[in-house]
Amino acid sequence: MLRRTLLASPAAIALPLAAPAFAQADTRPVLTVAVQKISNSNTLEPPREQSNVGFRLSGLFSETLIGTNWTGDLSAKPELATGWRRIDERTLEFQLRPDVKLHDGRVMSAEDIAFSLGAERLYGSGEGNAGRGVLAGATGKEPPGDVVAAARRSFPGFERIEAVDETTIRFVNRVPDLTLEGRMAQNVGAIFSREAFRAAESWLAWARRPVGTGPYRVGEYRPDTSLMLEAHDEYWGGRPPARRIRVLEVPEVSSRINGLVAGEFDFACDIPPDQIGTVERHPRFEVLGSAINNIRIICFDTIHPTLRNPLVRRAMAHAVDRRTIVDALWAGRTEVPKGLQLESFGQMHVGEHETPRFDVAEAKRLLREAGYRGEPIPYRLLNNYYTGQVPTAQILQEMWRAAGLNVQIEMRENWSQVNEPGPNRAVRDWSCTAVFADPVATLVRAMGPNGELQRSGEWKNEEFNRLCGVLETGTDPGARRAAHARMLNIIEREDPGYLVLHQAATFTAKRRDIAWRAPRGWPLDFRAGNLGFRA
Amino acid sequence: MARFLAGRLLRAFITLFLVVTFAFVVLRLSGDPAQIIMGADAPHEAVAAFRQAWGLDKSLWEQYLGYVGSIFTGDLGRSMRDGRPAAALVAERIPATLALTIPALFLKLGLGIPAGIYAALHRNSAIDRVVMLVAVAGFTIPSFVLGLLLVLVFAVQLGWLPSGGQESWRHAILPVITLGIGGAAVLARFTRSAMLEVLGQPYIRTASAKGVPWRRVVSGHAAPNAAIPTVTIIGFMFGSLIAGAVVVESVFSWPGVGRLMVVAVANRDLAVVQCVLLLVSFTMVAANFTVDLLYGLIDPRLRTGAQGGH
Repeated sequence: MLRRTLLASPAAIALPLAAPAFAQADTRPVLTVAVQKISNSNTLEPPREQSNVGFRLSGLFSETLIGTNWTGDLSAKPELATGWRRIDERTLEFQLRPDVKLHDGRVMSAEDIAFSLGAERLYGSGEGNAGRGVLAGATGKEPPGDVVAAARRSFPGFERIEAVDETTIRFVNRVPDLTLEGRMAQNVGAIFSREAFRAAESWLAWARRPVGTGPYRVGEYRPDTSLMLEAHDEYWGGRPPARRIRVLEVPEVSSRINGLVAGEFDFACDIPPDQIGTVERHPRFEVLGSAINNIRIICFDTIHPTLRNPLVRRAMAHAVDRRTIVDALWAGRTEVPKGLQLESFGQMHVGEHETPRFDVAEAKRLLREAGYRGEPIPYRLLNNYYTGQVPTAQILQEMWRAAGLNVQIEMRENWSQVNEPGPNRAVRDWSCTAVFADPVATLVRAMGPNGELQRSGEWKNEEFNRLCGVLETGTDPGARRAAHARMLNIIEREDPGYLVLHQAATFTAKRRDIAWRAPRGWPLDFRAGNLGFRA
Repeated sequence: MARFLAGRLLRAFITLFLVVTFAFVVLRLSGDPAQIIMGADAPHEAVAAFRQAWGLDKSLWEQYLGYVGSIFTGDLGRSMRDGRPAAALVAERIPATLALTIPALFLKLGLGIPAGIYAALHRNSAIDRVVMLVAVAGFTIPSFVLGLLLVLVFAVQLGWLPSGGQESWRHAILPVITLGIGGAAVLARFTRSAMLEVLGQPYIRTASAKGVPWRRVVSGHAAPNAAIPTVTIIGFMFGSLIAGAVVVESVFSWPGVGRLMVVAVANRDLAVVQCVLLLVSFTMVAANFTVDLLYGLIDPRLRTGAQGGH
């Protein structure tokens, strides 16, 4: 059997761990992981860190009631809840895992669940306080405005938590919602210690040292520098294989690779596809990774005079050869999805939907029909915020030019400049993460009436917005799937609000003698069962 | 002398004022801190509350006058990212940066000045050409390229030194060398030029003709007169002790003022950026001011305004 096949086997990872780990506690190794960024906000509270940066690490020190099988098919799995069932269309009942030890030594209780999902941690004391809290320089416990915003977006219908008994709780929504199970798997809903929150001197102090249930507890955190995670030996899922995880912030990709090859790091994250060969030239190292639950898209501003005509936007979608981009810039190691959806959506995946095919002749025909005469179309671009963003834009520009489109790249420094409304806002990059396996997490969350695309004024469609309601609160699976199919057709074909490029992929370089399976998303998993050290 | 000092102080004050004003205007016109820090998804009411809390909803003039006023009271503002005083955040990072830049300064002085003097005294010799070739290479290779080359050789290939981080004195060796080589090259070139110019002066020939030993001619007559341009460069190097390692700190993941500056600019953390700029401009102005004073000490003509040759 090939070595790679051995590594892919769960048993191969589990077996080498168990014997040495239990025989002698202190011999467990310290794992050093180099990341580009530890935290954008200099805090570790998941709702404050809703980006790939935060998603990567939060699962190491915190957990949700329902987990996600990141190294498998992205399906839901029991985590802090051993089971759950629907009471009705608004209510989900959870059976709590018994004897889960928090990092402060207490046993997780229903009060911790109510705190973690309730107002004290997520929503604050009221509307008037939105935006206050630590960001305004206060020292109180009021959550900052972006935490409240993330909580409302993640649990828009949250009404209350009911404790049925010591090991049973109910999440009650104001409106029917078939996606509650998916929503509960988002890391915004991670469970933390109520007592530790109340004992913290300020929200900032709490957010820099949250007390959760994950396999590692937060030790020392030095913003913009390093994060020490110590093994939580009473972890319900088994003793962690590493004694400590040192997460180091190494912003330069060349420095991450050099540090790995020099033997200073065990893992180096965020390896661009064009550097995979560089790493794998060294026989002691390999790069793991694959397409993840994030899709790269190009957004259109329909207020722009040229893009107001949907025929021009449709032409732009037909002019793009997505496969060539994937092969040229991603070494073929990612996928072109069927629109803004993933197969992990299960029944809600619309298999018959296709992204507009690459057809330059059709693009030219549409432009003739639109009466396009080469008017410039500005394309606001950040310098590689996304992997390969600039070369992708340059390839796109040439593909569009081949179809007769005059797209002008304009470099911008930050998102505020990219999103700034004005007559020269027309085309921009974006990506969309399916934070749970349902189109509500993509089409409604990002493109719906409260999503960024519509709030920025770039695109709007009345029929699409009506169908968002069906997806969000509908209870008939067939009707929801039909609504999803129609919505994809509207926003990707009839009245394009964006064009899909490809699934994003994340690559992690590591020592070959460490057995580890890469996730199909951002979160790193260093639990027992997914991390092993060969003798 | 008092007039000389007053003139220099006024110039220093105007420089600081211009830096503060320029940074204030550019930072506010090139991105909305509320949108950047709160994120694109934040609700409008939260963004509006953020702007109100930080005074970003006021006119640019009101903000500017408030900022300048607070500087005079010693309040440099708070970080919008975590609410802590900007001065404290910057002060935390200064020791890490100085741990690189001060040894690097000694390296520059210890290598650059002797090499420049030696090359000048052996003009057109093989050693002179080698020294200048190395100096040109050190001067022209960007610090991020040099840093990565040193890492490849000493960390990756030889495994002698760590490639980055700040955990022990060994971690500082490669960044100090990276910083030091470029500066030493600059100093070597300037010192050589200055020495060559002075060595061609009539008073050097006169001193030699009078039978003064060559070693004393060099140390007592040539070197002091060649010091003025060299002192200017050293002054710049002192001035850049705080912010002279931005690129090197990024390459070596060194958590100093430079890294803080990069992150703060990206996040438009206005108070932190302004605090760093104020500190950097102050050290630069202070270094230049000191250099001006040293000019006066080294060359009395500058102090008295007298003209004429030796």
